[in-house]
Amino acid sequence: MAQIQRWWLRYGWQLGLVCVGIYCALVLRQEHSMLITEIYEFFSRPFQVTVSRAEYLQDAKVQELQFRITELENQNSQLQRMLQVEKKRSASEQWAPIIGRSGDAWWQEVLIGKGKSAGITIGSIVEGEGGLVGRVTNTGNSSSQVLLISDSSSQVGVMVSRSRVMGILRGRNQSLGTVEFFVRDADVKAGDIIVTSPVSSLFPQGIPVGRVRSVDINKQPAPEAVVEFIAPLGLLEYVRVSHS
Amino acid sequence: MIYRTLLYILGMAGGLMVCFLLLPARLPGTTLMGYGTNWLLIWLVGWSLRRPVPIAVGVGICLGLLQDTLVLPPEAGLLPSHSLGLGLSGGLTAMLEKQRYIQEDFISVALIVFAMVVVTETVNALQRTVLGGEVIAVWSDHQRIALSSAVLTSLWSPACYFPLSQLRHWFYRSVNQT
Repeated sequence: MAQIQRWWLRYGWQLGLVCVGIYCALVLRQEHSMLITEIYEFFSRPFQVTVSRAEYLQDAKVQELQFRITELENQNSQLQRMLQVEKKRSASEQWAPIIGRSGDAWWQEVLIGKGKSAGITIGSIVEGEGGLVGRVTNTGNSSSQVLLISDSSSQVGVMVSRSRVMGILRGRNQSLGTVEFFVRDADVKAGDIIVTSPVSSLFPQGIPVGRVRSVDINKQPAPEAVVEFIAPLGLLEYVRVSHS
Repeated sequence: MIYRTLLYILGMAGGLMVCFLLLPARLPGTTLMGYGTNWLLIWLVGWSLRRPVPIAVGVGICLGLLQDTLVLPPEAGLLPSHSLGLGLSGGLTAMLEKQRYIQEDFISVALIVFAMVVVTETVNALQRTVLGGEVIAVWSDHQRIALSSAVLTSLWSPACYFPLSQLRHWFYRSVNQT
């Protein structure tokens, strides 16, 4: 008995404190208190990695757009498969350097550093970073001549991506081209995207070509649009050649 | 004297606070196979070594309840609770007759911590079994958790134990001098 009493005298207050502690902890637990979580948040805040909101949102936006494009591409290829559209584009593609460009025919033609030995044939499609560049008109053993779409003798069957109105794109020997439409009430406005048309015999369909800069609605017999090419035709160094 | 006592209490409480805050933080080097270090247990072992059993049990229960508040969702009931395991290991640590068998150094503290982690995790697994967990899943989990957490926690135990034991030595030395 005396031993218990001595123990109590020595440790009683500690035991009391512990009991109070347990009681408080129980109350915190029962009341679903956020107190401890809040304290943790307060102390760990300096160590939390912060990304600026704008950056985060921008990243998310870019990602979202990429995902959407992927989704649309998939849908599109599925629909094409359902409609059994033949893919005119061939899989064999290669990059070729531009090895020659004459100053007096700057917007008319370029020479590329690959030819028959690399499998390039007359009529192969030439694309650059951004879109259509032209087509091969003459081939040597290891070089080929490319007629640019900005040449005034070049004619490309094109289509307004938004309204599916078709027309013919002619070069103007500069970084702009002209699209002549076949119908009087062509639905076209500045900013529209121009792609190659599905009825073109020279080019596979759907290659991006340019963006409409202005529309001359009063032109006879049909309206005419001025188009700026997407591919930087004046700055080309490498092109992608795909042969049909 | 009062200042020293205050400093001692503040140091101990600060150490506890740090252990508490480290609990949900997964710092590099404090995880093994996805399981974290049980910092609270290290503190509890260090604290209970020379305490009476009932008090060590009480403190263990109290810490377990606080840990529940921090890591378990509020919808969960009172059980399963960390308090049973921590209470038991606090009591067992206090029961060890260190003066006779074990010296108070890092190695023996690390050993005690290792054993206590196994005890705590076993109690947790028992609770889950009793509360209707799938027996095989619970116990195969238990093996993995207990081993990796025990290894990790006992390796980290000096980091937590050393400052606190220094504080305690300093305090009792100064008490004895006056």
